[in-house]
Amino acid sequence: MTQTTSALPPAGSPGARPLVAVEGVQKHFGDLHVLKDVDLSVAAGEVVVVLGPSGSGKSTLCRTINRLETIDEGEIRIDGEPLPTSGPGLARLRSEVGMVFQSFNLFAHKTVLENVTVAPIKVKKVPRKEAEARAMELLERVGVADQARKLPAQLSGGQQQRVAIARSLAMAPKVMLFDEPTSALDPEMINEVIEVMTGLAKDGMTMIVVTHEMGFARRTADRVVFMDAGRILEVAPPEDFFAHPRTERAQDFLAKILQH
Amino acid sequence: MTTSRRLLLTGGAGLAAAIALAACGGSSSDEPAVAEDATFADGSTMKKLADAGKITIGTKFDQPLFGQAGPDGTPAGFDVEIGTLIAAALGIEKKSIEWVETVSANREPFIENGKVDLVVATYTINDTRKEVVDFAGPYYVAGQALMVTKDNEDITGEDTLEGKKVASVEGSTPAQYMTDNHPEAELSTFDTYSNCVTALTNGQVDAVTTDNVILAGFVAANKEELKLVGDGATFTEEPYGIGLKKGDDDFRTFVNDTLQAAYDDGSWAKAWEETAGAVLPTPDPPEIDRY
Amino acid sequence: MRSLLLEHDLLWQAFSTTLMLAAVSGAIALVVGTVVAGLRVSPYLPLRTVATLYTEFLRNTPLTIVFFFYVFVTPSMGFTLEYKAAAIIALSSYTSAFVAEAVRSGINSVGVGQAEAARSLGMSFGQNLAIVVLPQAFRTAIPPLINVLIALVKNTSVAGAFSVLELFAMSRRLTNVHSGDVLGILAGVALCYLIICIPLGRLAAGIERKVAFAR
Repeated sequence: MTQTTSALPPAGSPGARPLVAVEGVQKHFGDLHVLKDVDLSVAAGEVVVVLGPSGSGKSTLCRTINRLETIDEGEIRIDGEPLPTSGPGLARLRSEVGMVFQSFNLFAHKTVLENVTVAPIKVKKVPRKEAEARAMELLERVGVADQARKLPAQLSGGQQQRVAIARSLAMAPKVMLFDEPTSALDPEMINEVIEVMTGLAKDGMTMIVVTHEMGFARRTADRVVFMDAGRILEVAPPEDFFAHPRTERAQDFLAKILQH
Repeated sequence: MTTSRRLLLTGGAGLAAAIALAACGGSSSDEPAVAEDATFADGSTMKKLADAGKITIGTKFDQPLFGQAGPDGTPAGFDVEIGTLIAAALGIEKKSIEWVETVSANREPFIENGKVDLVVATYTINDTRKEVVDFAGPYYVAGQALMVTKDNEDITGEDTLEGKKVASVEGSTPAQYMTDNHPEAELSTFDTYSNCVTALTNGQVDAVTTDNVILAGFVAANKEELKLVGDGATFTEEPYGIGLKKGDDDFRTFVNDTLQAAYDDGSWAKAWEETAGAVLPTPDPPEIDRY
Repeated sequence: MRSLLLEHDLLWQAFSTTLMLAAVSGAIALVVGTVVAGLRVSPYLPLRTVATLYTEFLRNTPLTIVFFFYVFVTPSMGFTLEYKAAAIIALSSYTSAFVAEAVRSGINSVGVGQAEAARSLGMSFGQNLAIVVLPQAFRTAIPPLINVLIALVKNTSVAGAFSVLELFAMSRRLTNVHSGDVLGILAGVALCYLIICIPLGRLAAGIERKVAFAR
């Protein structure tokens, strides 16, 4: 750990401090150095899109933020609180960080409605009636309220991913992490999920999105983070990044993407 | 297969057996003299066994003094000696005897379906068993006795078992005797006598009951902790017989004659002294019941 | 068979003892085994180690030795149990190791994403297990679990060797008294075990059909 990252008090007023702060993070998978001295700070209400070729470490970075992956060095703080390594403190912080997975990961044995209500009822001790009313609102918002009594396997991929977003929202998280949310979807279903995400961004949700959807990045991101080989190479507003990528790696990456 | 071929094969087998016998040489001096010139009526079991040159005898493998298998799997004890005496009278050497372990529950089935030719296995003669098998002998009369720990002074006989915990083996005649005659005692049954003895030395039961000879084996192995009640006094009569196929009267008579001869020439007493005699005094041979 | 009818009081007593041993030990083993399986996947190394040792030790020890331990060894350490209680403890601890393995294989069959989703929603390890992982694990674990329970029913016969009058001990007692009917008695006893085991198999098939949800 470097001298500058240790014991650094949050500067300025509480309103100015970052909602998510990643400082000097190192991570290895065996011999593979997957995150190299990563720093990233995300302010409340900000939408950050993480781009990069596969294997660049962007998914790993996303997963370290709610400690689905451990880190070897560095510090991650959510709303000023360092992420505990285990125990009830970690569970509480996780409940404040929503996560949407590439493969949806809806609870296969529970109905759509139960998927959305189970965490509020069991973790936050919200009364069932209240949790169900809130869940129906959220399902309405993502457009799958009519599927509430079905099992996940009876839904299309796009519908499942929208339920997964509603499930995360039900915990009223401070920040939402999206780990390639459209990569497992058939092309015709990508838009319905992107629309929901765009709506969330407009409502002021703080979001960190790992994706290959350049259109979403261009239109919705406040900042684009470009990663390659475990390092953050560029951080820039989308219009700058797409028009003038500074690094050769980013130029290569964009060239390949835009050929499609 | 043609008749000539079959003859050829049996001839070959006979030749091989003869060579094997010659190669093994004579029996050692402490084995009973093998009858060299024994002749039997055609079609008799004796003839069949003598011609085959081997016999299968069922005995116990877990009863010290009577039938207990050594580390090599060959049993030794008084029952084994009795079986060897009978085999010798058929002209069969000790090493040509195949010993099969028989436990209490499988003795009748083994005899009935011919798995064994004889059973010499602390096998009590009784009428129910006589319905399905026949018995030669008895060659010894055992009796139920009690074994306690050395420091026990309360139990002096079968009349002092009120409220006592008594162990025996499930499915054995002594266990049945306890159920029928001593309901005032609390019977615990296990699958083996050694487990009964463990329960006794553990203090979980007050006494172990079964035939005196069996208990004597345990006392012999652990004289510091165990003793027989009343010096091994018996309160039942358990005539041990030699089980054989029902209706084979010629064979039964032959076995009875062999036993009688062993009584008369002292080989029965010698067999006892070399085995059970290490712990129990040599009794008078019981009268053979030629029913 | 004839002698079993003759001794139907004894038969009924033995049959209900076998049934009781199987039912009580089975229930305890299911609970203990599930807890042990949970510990085996817990995030705490000491708990995982204890659970692994427990499972491997009991799973690889002959049941007779487990019985011997509870019937003879614990009393010599000054802790005497009723024979039936000792039998239940021996059977349920032995069986729980197999239950734990069946449940653990069920847990492993549940996609890792399910547990990750539960964790990311703030569920504790226990909630994750109880609400998300185990309900799904049991669906795959049911066929092996039923096999474990059927084995338990048959394993109750070992109790007969340790002063509990169940079906097998009864058969030994009766074969001594009715030595002419050994095959009949054993056939009757085998039939009694079938009467207990076959419904278990049917139950398993029923549950499997019911929970065969689209994954």
